Amino acid sequence: MPDRGIEDLLRTEAPQVLGAVVRRYGNFGTAEDAVQEALVAAAGQWPTGGVPDNPRAWLITVAARRLTDLLRSEQARRRREEQWRPVERPHLPDTDDTLILLFLCCHPALSPPSQIALTLRAVGGLTTGEIARAFLVPEATMTRRITRAKQTVRDHGQRFLMPPPAERAERLDAVLHVLYLIFNEGYAATAGPDLARPDLAAEAIRLGRLLHRQLPAEPEVTGLLALMLLTDARRPARTGPDGALIPMDEQDRARWDAGLIAEGIALVGDALPRGEIGPYQVQAAIAAVHDESPSSAATDWPQIVALYEVLLRVSANPVVALNHAVAVAMRDGPAAGLDLIAGLGNTLDADHRLHAVRAHLHAMAGDHAAAQAGFEAAAMRTMSLQQQRYLHRRARREADLASP
Amino acid sequence: MKYMIMMTGSQYDFDRLSGKADDALSGPEAAALYEFMTAWNQRLVESGEFVEARGLAAPVHTRRITLRAGVPVVTDGPYAETQEVLAGYTIVECAGFDRATEIAAQLTLAPGTPGDNWYVEVRPILEGAGDLDA
Repeated sequence: MPDRGIEDLLRTEAPQVLGAVVRRYGNFGTAEDAVQEALVAAAGQWPTGGVPDNPRAWLITVAARRLTDLLRSEQARRRREEQWRPVERPHLPDTDDTLILLFLCCHPALSPPSQIALTLRAVGGLTTGEIARAFLVPEATMTRRITRAKQTVRDHGQRFLMPPPAERAERLDAVLHVLYLIFNEGYAATAGPDLARPDLAAEAIRLGRLLHRQLPAEPEVTGLLALMLLTDARRPARTGPDGALIPMDEQDRARWDAGLIAEGIALVGDALPRGEIGPYQVQAAIAAVHDESPSSAATDWPQIVALYEVLLRVSANPVVALNHAVAVAMRDGPAAGLDLIAGLGNTLDADHRLHAVRAHLHAMAGDHAAAQAGFEAAAMRTMSLQQQRYLHRRARREADLASP
Repeated sequence: MKYMIMMTGSQYDFDRLSGKADDALSGPEAAALYEFMTAWNQRLVESGEFVEARGLAAPVHTRRITLRAGVPVVTDGPYAETQEVLAGYTIVECAGFDRATEIAAQLTLAPGTPGDNWYVEVRPILEGAGDLDA
């Protein structure tokens, strides 16, 4: 039985330890392996032997020693030479190593799945096995993915530095996107029997808090953290006792987490006045309006429509347009929403959300046959078992209403 | 006058010290060595001859930078396991080369050193360009 306190401590220390080891000895890829082994050693020894007085120093010492061994066996096999690319930017001594690690793991040369895996391991301190289980892939697959990712980072001249100022905004976007993907995978598992995998959502929030501590003045960092908190606040009400999905308008709002809502709303209030409006802040603002409403009917739909119109301006994509259509339907009635959806064309045809939304709007309009067909079409397009169950249940209800 | 006393060691010597090699120093042997080195250092501090001392990380943590066709190339850990490289140094400020040599020679009495083949080196440190003529 793992000790939660020690496990939490190790996860917190992981990026600090890795940062210290890489800063001192270089060799990001091998150092990352060495730190993992130090974490495993600590997890094995500390519960019985006690936590050392200075856990971080202990971990750094053990990891550095392990790094020496790993490097020697590597170098016995091959001698590594690489061209040294000059870097014309000053070292920023007050930069937290965790932040550099996050940027390194979300390197633009990596695919999003690789960025996610590397971030969870190097910054989150999760083992390869844990990450593999979270994403429902065999451990060997995840091992290969992480190894290749580290190789790619190395090939791109792994320097333990912050990205140059000209690349900062773009690189930060990548970091935020990775955290958001981790959160979404935790909140709305895309495959498998469970609707949500709360560990991943919790991990994304933990990393989001960590990033926010480092960059408290970046409105989109604040926005993303707020968005995750305000979304996660609804998790207790989102599933029934049988694990089935409960849509927001049917949720028992008393079960929403008031603490997370208050924290998220405060963050939105902090980010919005800073001026630069970005998609995470707007989505957080939308989530805040929902979270503050005592019921679906009492929701301030005109405000939500207005916020979606802002969101369409800052980051137009078909899913945003779909959500905008829902808000318009809630404000003006289902016909207005269906008109907007018709304007979306076929871009989202493979996405279950398009079909589910259209079905809901047909149901609102009393067209039960169309609603039934829509829910069935949606069920065919989702990999999540719980979503499939919900959609089939709705399809049956509409079928009953269509032919009583 | 300042002198640098340079201690050398191979990766293998590091292993003996860290307890990894087959003929690693035993606990008491390692303790005796540390005690010897501490006492040696302390005597220099007390005599006012001590300036600075540093030990270096294992040879595997070495980057060698060379210029190849005009491009800097970094080689990681360029040493063979048995190659003797700089392992640490002590800088002393003392009466002259003979005194510096005397100080350095005391190190050969250290317990647990690799034996007859082990050596330390002493070299004068330049205090200014004029020293080159001296």
